[in-house]
Amino acid sequence: MPNFFDLNVHAYPETDVPVEDMYRIAKRYGYTGIAITNHDDTEKGKEILPPSISTFVFRGVEIRTKSVSELKRKIKLHYGEVPLLAVHGGSEVINEAALKDSRVDILAHPCGEKGEGELSHVLVRYAAKNGVAIDFNLNAIIHSRRSDRARILWKMRENLKLVRKYKAPAIISSNARFIYDLRAPREMIALASLFGMKKDEAIHALSAIPEGVLEHKWKKKTEVEII
Amino acid sequence: MKNAKCKVQKSKYQFVFYILHFALLLPPSLRERKRYLVFEVISEREIDKRELLEEIRDSIYSLYGDVGASESRIWLIDYDKKKDVGILRCAHNKVEEVRAALACIHSVNEARIGMRVIKIAGTIKGATRLIEKSV
Repeated sequence: MPNFFDLNVHAYPETDVPVEDMYRIAKRYGYTGIAITNHDDTEKGKEILPPSISTFVFRGVEIRTKSVSELKRKIKLHYGEVPLLAVHGGSEVINEAALKDSRVDILAHPCGEKGEGELSHVLVRYAAKNGVAIDFNLNAIIHSRRSDRARILWKMRENLKLVRKYKAPAIISSNARFIYDLRAPREMIALASLFGMKKDEAIHALSAIPEGVLEHKWKKKTEVEII
Repeated sequence: MKNAKCKVQKSKYQFVFYILHFALLLPPSLRERKRYLVFEVISEREIDKRELLEEIRDSIYSLYGDVGASESRIWLIDYDKKKDVGILRCAHNKVEEVRAALACIHSVNEARIGMRVIKIAGTIKGATRLIEKSV
């Protein structure tokens, strides 16, 4: 069985759920690791990870901003400090700026939390070149109904088509805020099949690609090329 | 002597019922194939069986529509409130669809819940055995 990872989970300083609870449930569901990526602008205090779970829970940050200049400043601030750098996507300007920057690891929910944003073929090509993983946020599917969900599924289907074409890294994440938002890997695969992702693709997006993102696999390649 | 007669009569009746039972049931070749999903629920409060069934139906109808729901033929066999596990029957070729519909459930009457399919079995007996083993 492959090692499954969920790289977009929000816990204690942002929500009221302690990291230990997330760890307990994720472990029970069969994950090998989760990443706590709290939004940088809502952080009240720093999360404390007990050493016993530090091999399972990875630290990350999700940058949420509206202007490109502020995004660049924040990337500079957090780069190297945390192992995982995610950007809160949604608007087209932010998506573009995040995908063009090779320091960013993940562009979280590029089609927004309610399906308002879009990705173009040019942007996905940048993602493949810079090794920025495009995230498919399944929480949006779980928490919406009817026309909202139809719009989100349509956007995700379009993104998936582009990701396949340009071979950009894609990951599936739960974007969980409570323990009840977490889903087991096989449920995630079943949910991913709703927007046309095949089973082996979904397994890849839950195991090998997140593992590569954590190891900065695609980044090293580009660095070697530059030298 | 009386007792013996009773016994004979009882067994005779049993035999007749046995024949009738099989005559009225669909022959095995015409029965639809099923799968039994053993699922577990984590929730904020105790969830009633009826509430849960309503939510599962609602989720399947909103995700696949009336036609899809009729094809998946779901039936909640059993749900244990205390242990938070249950058995759901569905068509044998719609397991992944039902799994996705279960994963889409996020709340029951404003109490947050999360559902997960633990195992899939081919018979009720197998499913109950799985529950006994896991709990």
